[in-house]
Amino acid sequence: MIKIDHATFTYGENNEYSVGIRDIDLEIEDGQVIVLCGESGCGKTTLTRMINGLIPHYYEGKLTGEIWINGINVSQQPLYDTAKIVGSVFQNPRSQFFNVDTTSEITFGCENLGMPKEEIKDRLQATIQELHLKKLIGRNIFQLSGGEKQKIACAGVSIMKPDIFVLDEPSSNLDAASIMDLRRIIAHWKEQGKTIIISEHRLYYLRGLADRFIYMKEGQIIQDYSATEFENLTEEKREEMGLRAYVLENLLMPEMLISERTTMELHDFNFAYKNGPQILYIRECEIPANRIVAITGNNGAGKSTFSRCFCGLEKQCGTIIWNGKTYRPKERLKACYMVMQEVNHQLFTETIQDEVMISMKEENEKEADKFLDMLDLIKVKDRHPMSLSGGQKQRAAIASAIASGRSVLFLDEPTSGLDHKHMLEVAEVLREVWDTGISVYVITHDLELIIECCTDVIHFENGTIADQYQMDAEGMEKIRKYFIQEKCCGKWSKSD
Amino acid sequence: MDEILSATVDSRNGIVLDPRTKLFMLITITTLMFSTSNDGIMNIVKPILSLIPFALILSEHKFKTAGKYAVLYAVCFVLERLALNVWSGMISFLILAATSIMTRFAPGIMTGAYLISSTSVSEFISAMERMHVTEKIIIPLSVIFRFFPTIKEEYQAIRDAMKMRNIRFGGKNPFLMIEYRLIPLMVSVIKIGDELSAAALTRGLGAPVRRTNVCEIGFHVQDFSAIVVCFACFILFFLHQYIVF
Amino acid sequence: MNNKLQAKDLINLGLFTVLYFVLGCCVAIPIGFVPIFLPILGALWTLITGIPFMLFLTRVKKFGMVTLMAILSGLLMGLTGMGYWGVPLGLIFGLLGDLILKFGNYKSAKRSLIGYAVFSLWMVGTYIPMYFMVEDSRASFAASFGKEYADKVMAVMPMWSIVLVIAGIFICAIIGGMIGKALLKKHFVKAGIV
Repeated sequence: MIKIDHATFTYGENNEYSVGIRDIDLEIEDGQVIVLCGESGCGKTTLTRMINGLIPHYYEGKLTGEIWINGINVSQQPLYDTAKIVGSVFQNPRSQFFNVDTTSEITFGCENLGMPKEEIKDRLQATIQELHLKKLIGRNIFQLSGGEKQKIACAGVSIMKPDIFVLDEPSSNLDAASIMDLRRIIAHWKEQGKTIIISEHRLYYLRGLADRFIYMKEGQIIQDYSATEFENLTEEKREEMGLRAYVLENLLMPEMLISERTTMELHDFNFAYKNGPQILYIRECEIPANRIVAITGNNGAGKSTFSRCFCGLEKQCGTIIWNGKTYRPKERLKACYMVMQEVNHQLFTETIQDEVMISMKEENEKEADKFLDMLDLIKVKDRHPMSLSGGQKQRAAIASAIASGRSVLFLDEPTSGLDHKHMLEVAEVLREVWDTGISVYVITHDLELIIECCTDVIHFENGTIADQYQMDAEGMEKIRKYFIQEKCCGKWSKSD
Repeated sequence: MDEILSATVDSRNGIVLDPRTKLFMLITITTLMFSTSNDGIMNIVKPILSLIPFALILSEHKFKTAGKYAVLYAVCFVLERLALNVWSGMISFLILAATSIMTRFAPGIMTGAYLISSTSVSEFISAMERMHVTEKIIIPLSVIFRFFPTIKEEYQAIRDAMKMRNIRFGGKNPFLMIEYRLIPLMVSVIKIGDELSAAALTRGLGAPVRRTNVCEIGFHVQDFSAIVVCFACFILFFLHQYIVF
Repeated sequence: MNNKLQAKDLINLGLFTVLYFVLGCCVAIPIGFVPIFLPILGALWTLITGIPFMLFLTRVKKFGMVTLMAILSGLLMGLTGMGYWGVPLGLIFGLLGDLILKFGNYKSAKRSLIGYAVFSLWMVGTYIPMYFMVEDSRASFAASFGKEYADKVMAVMPMWSIVLVIAGIFICAIIGGMIGKALLKKHFVKAGIV
């Protein structure tokens, strides 16, 4: 059993930084699946860090109150002792592995704790079986997809057989199919009677699994719902609370964004990375232009390769004919702009204003301020890009794209890990960008974003465009089917 | 280079060597190749040593890389001989400068790349522990191992971003070029590092117990033969002044 | 606070060592192809690596991390083929640098520059084979590079010039440290990372 007794935590030495959580009282029974939800910055991640001991042993700050797990005060014992009873999975699949190969990564925890060799080997076999990992064994982690990495991370804690699992936004970087895999893993742990605590924005995949929903705001617990109570919340109420959709079937048709449907032609988009197999096979195809187009499909279907080729980052791939003009990769590099998922990589200067100005053909402060104003960045124009929130950084990148006069904007998963409010903000920005006459393409696994702002959908499968449709009533059905299928809500298939 | 650094256990075919053997080979090559002596028997020892990485890469079925390396080394070696014995003047000086660097460093770098690509972090830790190296060296070294590919990945992403933003800016100012590349790289590497620390600590890294090592390492026939070759090279190196032929 | 190095510190150490080393190599490899530039290679290295080192110092609060970084750098340098003298020199100068920094509690600005400069002297280790071994094998050096080349190298690097090499490393380290500090202020402090 977990018992948190009047716990308060502030990060850093001076309180001005951020109040993590305030005066939390919580009891969690063994075998429960608990979901911590609430807007970004509500303290749910902080709460998970208290349970796995990272607070106060890794993140420094001021902690008062006590956290008891099975009668042990975890804030008093070193992390390696807590590691035996609490296993943690984190948000970013790229940064949580210590090894380069999958097998050693799975056994890493057991090895650290000095378990007998034979036992680790037995556990490894069992874990591979239980989590269906056969295909991933002995591979280089750097070459796995996000979903596969996350599976390995789950296996790495599962093998340690902790009583408690703590997951911090584990679905943020996953596609629809990987999210269902994650659900399967959580269900497996639940069957074994483990206690599971998940801090999460995406809620739909936890339907039918979670026993309790704890709604947090500004570092405090506001409401403690049972699964039934949570299910019975109206969509309006849920939205008002700033939460993501819980029952995908309830999502409503978007208002059609009407615009003239124009297209561009793609020719010979065939591509393989050096020494790799062919990833992209598109000989000839027309795709919508002057729209907001969602690009979906599972990881490995070729979406990101397509976007790299489209934006001209790969020098030898295909031509595009649009409005009677032919664009080769070199020209596309000048006409397109990609906002990367890891937006930190593309901001270089000292202030947001500089960031926009260096993108302009002629530096012009007034013009720059106009774009900043449009993207709601005018108040922070003198701040350093790295000091901004993820959403602001994203908008800064978009502002510099508009300033550089590009006609196509590509975005790679702009809403991964965002709460409802911030997702709506992104949708709003995309619509505004579109209004200025820029064609927008969004690689996304976010059904709510698609419904909120996309006019068209392109669906990728096995390196080619398998389907494309408008977001009308028929399209809505199709896209919903792709996300929900029969996978969710207890009826998921038991495939490998 | 690239293919070697990016590959790991994925395509693990070829000779299986103990990490300690690989380390010893690397030390042998880097030490002897860099020694300036080029007399007598060393004229044979050096080319033989340069064949070691070739054989290793070949055994991994990376024919292309092995071929490139062999051609590069052979061309440099021949040019070096020509520059020494036939040509003279400025040309020979310039050629010598370039080729001598290649012939000295290439074998070591290739062997180092092979060591990294063919050894898993846990094998490496296990080998270091058997050599009774302190944890204070092992943990940082394994992090270094893990981060070479990460830095490469991050750097490529930043390069792409700059390409896309059409780096007119900073083009004239080399210092800005460095700054624009370096700052995002450091920011993201540090961020990854922080998250990595947290993840590793929640899985018991640093527990004051004797760490188990599941991976199998140990010396076999191929290790002994490699070690014998290395020792022989060292002995020939120490005696080369006395061997006349 | 526990003053022993813990796993967290050791991971940080590895992280910054790899940044330090890769960055140094980015400068050293293209320049290293021209042997005439060899004497200033160490100086250029320390000039650029001031940036990650100053960032590293914001994370160092315990004695030993700087020493270990110098030893590890020497080791990595050796594995690339520059000889293993960097390891013992890393131990000596790393330790000295660490002591200087410790007296400033790893915070004093002046001491961090001097500490970094002293730490950087581990680089001298890479010159030892060139200076002290070359005399031994001067003849063989000439045999392998041609007399002309050997003479030229000797002309660039007479014995006394090692003093210049050391001074170059030291002075460039001070400048590099200042650049590092400036960039730190420009980006990381503003961004709230340190």
